[in-house]
Amino acid sequence: MKRELQAIAVLLVFGVAKLPLEQHLTQDLRKQKMLEEPLQLGVGENMGQMGLAASLGGLRGLAASMFQLRAHLEFTHVNWAKVDSLYKLVTRLQPRNVRYWEEASWHMAYNAASHYLYHQELKPALRGQLYHDHVKRGIAILEEGLKFLPDNPRLWQKLAEIQWHRSKDFKQAGDAYWNSFQHGGLNFTERFAGFAYAQSNDPESWRKGYAILKRLYDANKSTPGLVEFLKLLEQNLHVPTEQRIPDTAPVRKGPEPQAGPQR
Amino acid sequence: MSNATNSSIAEKQPRVRFSPQRVWTLAMATVTQLVRMKILAFLVVFCLLAVGAGFAFSVINPEQQLNLLKSVTLGALQIFSIVIGVVSTALLLPKDMEDRTLYTILSKPVPRFDYLLGKLLGVLLLIGGGLIVMDAVLSLILWLRESMVFEDVVTRMRLEKMDTPEAVAQVREIVARQGLTWNLHWAVWAIFLKAAVVTTVSLLLSCIASSTLFTIIMTFCITIIGHGHALIREFFFQPHLSSAASRVAALLLAAICPDLAQFDIVDSVVNGEIVPWAAVYDITGIAALYVTVYLFVTHLLFVEKEL
Repeated sequence: MKRELQAIAVLLVFGVAKLPLEQHLTQDLRKQKMLEEPLQLGVGENMGQMGLAASLGGLRGLAASMFQLRAHLEFTHVNWAKVDSLYKLVTRLQPRNVRYWEEASWHMAYNAASHYLYHQELKPALRGQLYHDHVKRGIAILEEGLKFLPDNPRLWQKLAEIQWHRSKDFKQAGDAYWNSFQHGGLNFTERFAGFAYAQSNDPESWRKGYAILKRLYDANKSTPGLVEFLKLLEQNLHVPTEQRIPDTAPVRKGPEPQAGPQR
Repeated sequence: MSNATNSSIAEKQPRVRFSPQRVWTLAMATVTQLVRMKILAFLVVFCLLAVGAGFAFSVINPEQQLNLLKSVTLGALQIFSIVIGVVSTALLLPKDMEDRTLYTILSKPVPRFDYLLGKLLGVLLLIGGGLIVMDAVLSLILWLRESMVFEDVVTRMRLEKMDTPEAVAQVREIVARQGLTWNLHWAVWAIFLKAAVVTTVSLLLSCIASSTLFTIIMTFCITIIGHGHALIREFFFQPHLSSAASRVAALLLAAICPDLAQFDIVDSVVNGEIVPWAAVYDITGIAALYVTVYLFVTHLLFVEKEL
């Protein structure tokens, strides 16, 4: 009996003494990106997240992979609502996995949006509406992903591509490409930020675009596209003739293909 | 008079000291006993699973294929280690009592602590050995898939005329991150540490349990609670979240259960994060602390247990 009481006492004293140590260690591991940071989504949502983590133990990665495979199956069945809800679950389980955010947004902004756009049985107005709704959903997914991974150049690049090719929001596309480049993205993202700014209808963006493209031109990183957009910006910003670049703008062979109805 | 005689006899008896060799002998006997129970059949299942996960899902993108292979196999490793740890530990004491092996061992000058440590070490050796074999299989498949996936992506990029040196370098970096690295082995080490803690808890419970089923169920309950330890601590450390009664209940639960979520670095490894040495030291240290204290408590419970 004496030993049993000793055992209970040791267990309780150790149990209480270990709490600050565990708290400290968990914070340390979170700083080292080994454990998930608790999400700043309000107490209720946080508890939900942690409860999910607790119930699945260390098998969240496995569960996410299984749901992703199921989402792929639903994609082959063209069931977009199911694809979206399954990817929502997948990204909740693995919010630090860039690929899941990328794929979830790709399914919505490209696959689902195009599916509705070319759906012959739907009325044209509805097709346009559904196209835009799904593109918006794709953007929303990436923006949510960027809350978890604000420094990820790939997510910024994907956001820029959707803003450029699907929404035709060139100012936002320029900002996203620029953020991608700032966070270590591929070299072309800097050039594309300039191209996107050049196509916007905002003088402030033109100035940003001109600064980027002129710097690249001066650094001998010129491409036919760069010269074309630089010429366009020189014209829009009324750059004095003596400051303009000597090249002539390359002639476009045809209009750029447009994806989706314009709004 | 009689008490005085007994105590004088006890004093005259030579004190049996802790012997690592004796512990090792008991551990090896435990390994043999568990191997005879055909517990290692799981290894075959694992190998099939690893091969399946590695080569079956070629429809999804290449990076995701490597990701899937790692998450499925590391998930299987976690299940293997925890289930083997809990079930075999829960079975050992009752089986030794049923076979009368326990009485044969303890009638010799074998301290009960040596017996407990030998049993625990035996189970951990079995789990460790199994994990090493499975880690080797996983590493081999991942290494094979890594080169195949890289070739596949570059060929596709070449066909689409997107194989700029920068883009190829990026793919190489992504595939290398998702492929075979030391981080994979640290993830397996973390799985082993978690299993070691759960096994010690199971041993502790088997000393007070009346049945094997009770030990297994209670250990699994503690394992689940242990994964939500951060949530329980949140309740305790933030008074505005809960009432006084909830906080006391949270404190008791948090005090009794180990925080098993600390060992969940597997997800980060699957996502391609690099495991720093500091994290390895941290999780190894906390696991050693848990195992030492829980083993000591087990000893206190077992030393006077009537068998």
